[in-house]
Amino acid sequence: MILALLFANSEGNILVERFNGVPAEERLHWRSFLVKLGADNLKGVKNEELLVASHKSVYIVYTVLGDVSVYVVGKDEYDELALAEVIFVITSAVKDVCGKPPTERLFLDKYGKICLSLDEIIWKGYMENTDKDRIRRLVRLKPPTEF
Amino acid sequence: MAQPLVKKDDDRDDEADYSPFLGIEKGAVLQEARVFNDPQLDPRRCSQVITKLLYLLNQGETFTKVEATEVFFSVTKLFQSRDIGLRRMVYVMIKELSPSADEVIIVTSSLMKDMTSKTDMYRANAIRVLCRITDGTLLTQIERYLKQAIVDKNPVVASAALVSGIHLLQTNPEIVKRWSNEVQEAVQSRAALVQFHALALLHQIRQNDRLAVNKLVTSLTRGSVRSPLAQCLLIRYTSQVIRESANNTQTGDRPFYDFLEGCLRHKAEMVIFEAARAITELNGVTSRELTPAITVLQLFLSSSKPVLRFAAVRTLNKVAMTHPMAVTNCNIDMESLISDQNRSIATLAITTLLKTGNESSVDRLMKQITNFMSDIADEFKIVVVEAIRSLCLKFPLKHRSLMNFLSNILREEGGFEYKKAIVDSIVILIRDIPEAKESGLLHLCEFIEDCEFTYLSTQILHFLGIEGPKTSDPSKYIRYIYNRVHLENATVRAGAVSTLAKFGAMVDALKPRIFVLLRRCLFDNDDEVRDRATLYLNTLGGDGAVVETGEDVKEFLFGSLDIPLVNLENSLKNYELSEESFDIDSVPKEVKTQPLAEKKAPGKKPTGLSAPPTGPPSTVDAYERLLSSIPEFANFGKLFKSSAPVELTEAETEYAVNVVKHIFDGHVVFQFNCTNTIPEQLLENVTVIVDASEAEEFAEVATKPLRSLPYDSPGQTFVAFEKPEGVPAVGKFSNMLRFIVKEVDPSTGEAEEDGVEDEYQLEDLEVVAADYMLKVGVSNFRNAWESMGADCERVDEYGLGPRDSLAEAVNAVINLLGMQPCEGTEVVPSNSRSHTCLLSGVYIGNVKVLVRLQFGIDGPKDVAMKLAVRSEDEAVSDAIHEIVASG
Repeated sequence: MILALLFANSEGNILVERFNGVPAEERLHWRSFLVKLGADNLKGVKNEELLVASHKSVYIVYTVLGDVSVYVVGKDEYDELALAEVIFVITSAVKDVCGKPPTERLFLDKYGKICLSLDEIIWKGYMENTDKDRIRRLVRLKPPTEF
Repeated sequence: MAQPLVKKDDDRDDEADYSPFLGIEKGAVLQEARVFNDPQLDPRRCSQVITKLLYLLNQGETFTKVEATEVFFSVTKLFQSRDIGLRRMVYVMIKELSPSADEVIIVTSSLMKDMTSKTDMYRANAIRVLCRITDGTLLTQIERYLKQAIVDKNPVVASAALVSGIHLLQTNPEIVKRWSNEVQEAVQSRAALVQFHALALLHQIRQNDRLAVNKLVTSLTRGSVRSPLAQCLLIRYTSQVIRESANNTQTGDRPFYDFLEGCLRHKAEMVIFEAARAITELNGVTSRELTPAITVLQLFLSSSKPVLRFAAVRTLNKVAMTHPMAVTNCNIDMESLISDQNRSIATLAITTLLKTGNESSVDRLMKQITNFMSDIADEFKIVVVEAIRSLCLKFPLKHRSLMNFLSNILREEGGFEYKKAIVDSIVILIRDIPEAKESGLLHLCEFIEDCEFTYLSTQILHFLGIEGPKTSDPSKYIRYIYNRVHLENATVRAGAVSTLAKFGAMVDALKPRIFVLLRRCLFDNDDEVRDRATLYLNTLGGDGAVVETGEDVKEFLFGSLDIPLVNLENSLKNYELSEESFDIDSVPKEVKTQPLAEKKAPGKKPTGLSAPPTGPPSTVDAYERLLSSIPEFANFGKLFKSSAPVELTEAETEYAVNVVKHIFDGHVVFQFNCTNTIPEQLLENVTVIVDASEAEEFAEVATKPLRSLPYDSPGQTFVAFEKPEGVPAVGKFSNMLRFIVKEVDPSTGEAEEDGVEDEYQLEDLEVVAADYMLKVGVSNFRNAWESMGADCERVDEYGLGPRDSLAEAVNAVINLLGMQPCEGTEVVPSNSRSHTCLLSGVYIGNVKVLVRLQFGIDGPKDVAMKLAVRSEDEAVSDAIHEIVASG
């Protein structure tokens, strides 16, 4: 299960936050934990360079993309490798929507499209689509080209 | 328009000022949402409003029921628009709002229409939305379409239906299970993702059917799986099959190993890694099997991708726990990872090296770690400290350098958890390695000279008080301890006073000097410190005469308070001032079994950061202490066995009662653990009336009622029976809980004066033969069997009649005898026609018993059994046969 997906800006403010199967009372805890993790480690990290951490049986993979940082948290079958796959799909979809690694402004400008892309990528905690071209078409309700 | 990527320049500052969501407010957006109701819909505008709503929801904002309903109804109007972009937004919005059951009906018809639409993408999205918001009844209506969708030629539609199936399986398993054939077909799909999703769903549908999973794996490992993701799933399922069939192999070859090994040469890294990990996790993996997996993991160690390095080193770390020698080849690669930028990887590398390293490499390793420690966070340091502790226990000769390392890092900056881990490690090393004791104690002494954590200071002082007096020169610790009395806060000062007293009690030569120091503490400005000083001066005879310290004084100083502090606290809170003084013996000694809150939410799994619940210690020792503290049972002799708790009430009833059967040579004591789950009631004088009319050999001799049972605070009542000495008497007991119930005012928590007598029927309880058998295993059954000899052997054959399976028959006999299965023989391979099971135990009277059971099953499932018993006493061998014959 992908437990959480979080986008934050460089000051640690949340831009997108999606939890799956995490009780409401634990969410705040996670949010501050992840933001702190990013603040401690993401300084000077190159775009899309992946960082990884594990806490008990839970895995976290995170990175920066332009002005925003991205965190995915998973457990069980979503271990660090699967999450790396997930975050790769997410970052390439976001780049695709924004045309480049986004500034915060650009990210917010394209917010709607980004939400739709995320909806195609993760569905209730499971990864559904992995190909950015396919996602781009799906967001526009176009069937994928391979078909 | 070309823009610099993320450079901080003027342009960007301007940009940031104009966030499209600047000053966004829920109320205003909800107002804006009224455009959804316009007769002339403006798709662009509507999309913008939906984006704002999504932004609010993603920020953690919540809508009230009324707001959500209103937005939901307006959003449904947007189905009228033919704008594709807007329709996509509508789908997302409905999923985000997740309408309640009575509202769903509004959109079902629109969604059903989309679901049968000619446009593939409408179908896919409508399926996903419908499955998200649907309930069981609606599902049966749309089931037909879903089954079609699974085999739809458009992979997006098929995937949507399959993933929906995975989610629906949780809520409506019986419906989804009917789709098996369609899913099976989808597994053969040419589209990679469809295959992946179909495989996941098919496995979930069949996961409880071992044979079906076996078939699935067998067919797929032969064929070709296109998607690397599906291949990973297949590897996982394969290792599950291998695990379950582990006992079935007669030859040395492991089924499917070749498949796993083949996957190591796959082109996707994901698959290679998955296969390598599966191999390392095989039960009883041999080094020949392990080698190819370790080789690919070693290559990953030098990968440019941090995730691969992490995954590889994490797996090797696990392997190092069981097969340290297999990992040593990778040591050079791992040493280079110590300087890895990603500290998680570096920490794992260090801890793996600590496990695989040999005695000669310890010093070199420690040097590397010292450099590394300064730039990692506390949580990583704790992992390293724990690894060093186990290394030290493994190589006790290296204690000097390892202890030095610990004391060095103890002096550096660090948080509480980190310091605590170091102190704990030093304490463990002092306990386990006698040579390390003196230097360890001195390190701790130095640490408390400059320790900012009160908790650690008091813990160390306590430890010093126990270990310090036993060293060759106890006097050298006094200075450190007495310094605390000058320099620290009251809590630490009080701890130091107690420690001083312990030195005084144990070391007569130091006594006069300790008295001088303790007298100085009489003028401390904290009353606890003064009280302690006074108390210890008096108990140690500090009025001038230096006398030998009495045993009871030592018991007072060093004995432990064997009452759980929580219970003591509760009892003190409940105690009301009266003529009768507080009696410490009335405090229950049983550890609270389970807090009520946890019981009520059994489905909630600990996710993420919360600590796993810790189980109560329920060892025989604890029971023995508890029972011997009750005067009525004190003369029953040694406790032979305590059973696991048997529930006498259903879950979720007013009063939860379970019973533990304590077996003595000539007595049986029933310990009823009672919990009152009604906040408005206080129970008093709680007893269990046990009717032993169906247990002829038992005679009731004592009961110990429970005086008071407040809400959510478990207590015990006991009933004791006499039975013929040494005889494994059996019988059935019926039980009735009897008590006086008093109403409690929930606002004040005070109980009414008058109570009403009431009774509550409990379930029956049986004392069976297995209660007289202790589960005690032997490490080598054959040796034990041979050395026991055939003098008291008894062999006989029994027909067990028709049984569901061989495994069921084996289990039944094991449970009947209550013995410990040896060498994993309790597991019966599926489909086997015969099985041998080895059991061992200690029978009442401390007689060792070994049992060899041979089972056979024939066509109509009739099971026959040959039972061979060896023991030290032929009467016991006969008794075992008696149990089986009458069972």
